[in-house]
Amino acid sequence: MLKRIFISGYKCLVNFELSPGNINLLLGPNGGGKSTLLEVLRMIQAYILGLDDIKKLFDYATLTRGQNIPIQNFELEFAHPNGDFKYELEVDYYDPEHKPHVQFERLSSNGKLIIQCQENQVLFSPEQLTAEIRYPFTLPYSIISAYQPETESLGQFKELITHLLVVHPNPIASLMITESPKEERIPSRNMENFISWYRFLSQDQGFVHEVTLLLQEVLPGFKYFKFAEFGEKHRVLKAYFSVDNGHTTYEYSFNELSDGQRMLIFLYTLLQVLKSGRYMVCLDEPENFLALPEIQPWLIELFDLCSQGDAQAVLISHHPELINYLLASPVGYWFERPSNLHTRVKAITIRPEDGGLPVSELIARGWLHD
Amino acid sequence: MTDRTRAVILCEDRQQEVFARAFLEECGITPLRVLIGAPGKGAGEQYVRKNYPQNVQTFRSKFPAQPNTCLVVLTDSDALKTIQRLNILEKELKMNGLPKRRPAERIGIFIPKRNIETWIHFLMGETVNEEDEYQKYKNEGKCKPFVEDLARNRRNPLPDDVPPSMRAACDELDRIL
Repeated sequence: MLKRIFISGYKCLVNFELSPGNINLLLGPNGGGKSTLLEVLRMIQAYILGLDDIKKLFDYATLTRGQNIPIQNFELEFAHPNGDFKYELEVDYYDPEHKPHVQFERLSSNGKLIIQCQENQVLFSPEQLTAEIRYPFTLPYSIISAYQPETESLGQFKELITHLLVVHPNPIASLMITESPKEERIPSRNMENFISWYRFLSQDQGFVHEVTLLLQEVLPGFKYFKFAEFGEKHRVLKAYFSVDNGHTTYEYSFNELSDGQRMLIFLYTLLQVLKSGRYMVCLDEPENFLALPEIQPWLIELFDLCSQGDAQAVLISHHPELINYLLASPVGYWFERPSNLHTRVKAITIRPEDGGLPVSELIARGWLHD
Repeated sequence: MTDRTRAVILCEDRQQEVFARAFLEECGITPLRVLIGAPGKGAGEQYVRKNYPQNVQTFRSKFPAQPNTCLVVLTDSDALKTIQRLNILEKELKMNGLPKRRPAERIGIFIPKRNIETWIHFLMGETVNEEDEYQKYKNEGKCKPFVEDLARNRRNPLPDDVPPSMRAACDELDRIL
């Protein structure tokens, strides 16, 4: 579970700190920094897992405007059954061409250093050895992704990071990658790679069975998915629907489904992934494309999973359905940027005298904090 | 989509919602719609009272076409007697020009006294009375296994020390199921 996030020097996030609970709803005006927070989580994940090198992930243009020091700081703290993890990263842009450079990257567990890279020097404290190991490191990747052999604690931390799903699902057909070249373990930002991600997930037949049952509940007539070969390695995803009271079955390619149907498939697949344990999902506007009766059933399932402690969720939404359902509990955070300066975040509390109107109505009137 | 019984749940707060859903789902009833009052002292009671007549009216007009649905209403008794709280809701119907609830209607009103926490503390093994206020739970889901257990054993006789409002609620449930 992600316990604390600290970001400074990245776009509108300066000395920004958030300690998320099991389920969290981020609210506030557009431009307040909500999506930027998710952007950072996705970027740090890609860096730690070695999905891209530093130059492709960190950009001088993301430095906070008006900040004199060209430095960005990121800290993530996670709770884990075997000990809490703290990850710290400092990136500077002192280079004349403003190329990013890692000042330091550090991972510790329960206050004890596991690995650190500072000024191109690695300091490693293996669990079984008393002596520290030092050696030079100049690759443009995270030391955590590059270090071999993987130790138990590094493996646990990487698994935590892999279990972070940060998405802004967009089911529009033209964005979807319809031919999957290979299994992909992490969904892309807009879930364009859903078919490759589902291909990875479907290696577990139990998962396929469970997600099929879920989808049969919410997609009228849905029977199952099946992969079809397309060339030597590529696969396309076919969906089968029954018509005529089940007497006839039609095959559709994934892209032939409606945007709303694809969105439901994304969301219930995510739900089933979360049920497999210790996942954290950050979802930007998950209600997009859904019909009104489709939102609350999904939300209730997500809420139950998170409140049981089986998963963690951070949601961004402007939709009254999410706002009114979720804010019956104190799980809301309000993001705003007074005078277009840095993001300020505060927990949403409903005062006794506010009672009566739905929270979404208070927000619509701009009265939430008056 | 299934043809299981589905319930519209109208309740004051998250704790009531979690309780109601856990109980109903164990009885095979899935939520069709959950309507929860806004946070704030007294807001939940007001929310249920104000939304009750329109939900009853709509339920009555749609029930013939949707016979597998029921309307489940939860509101704490607080310092009032259970019958007084029930009468307040009946009065709301009258003020809106609606007939009284009839025994055959699948509209269930569940009134925990003193409040839902009384029932939960009882289910979790404490000796309770209906006058004292009991501590709220930060994790509302903590009650779920106990509520599910109650639902599973609903055909069995209730213990002698069950709060009277809970006994009345079980009878109410039998009526609408």
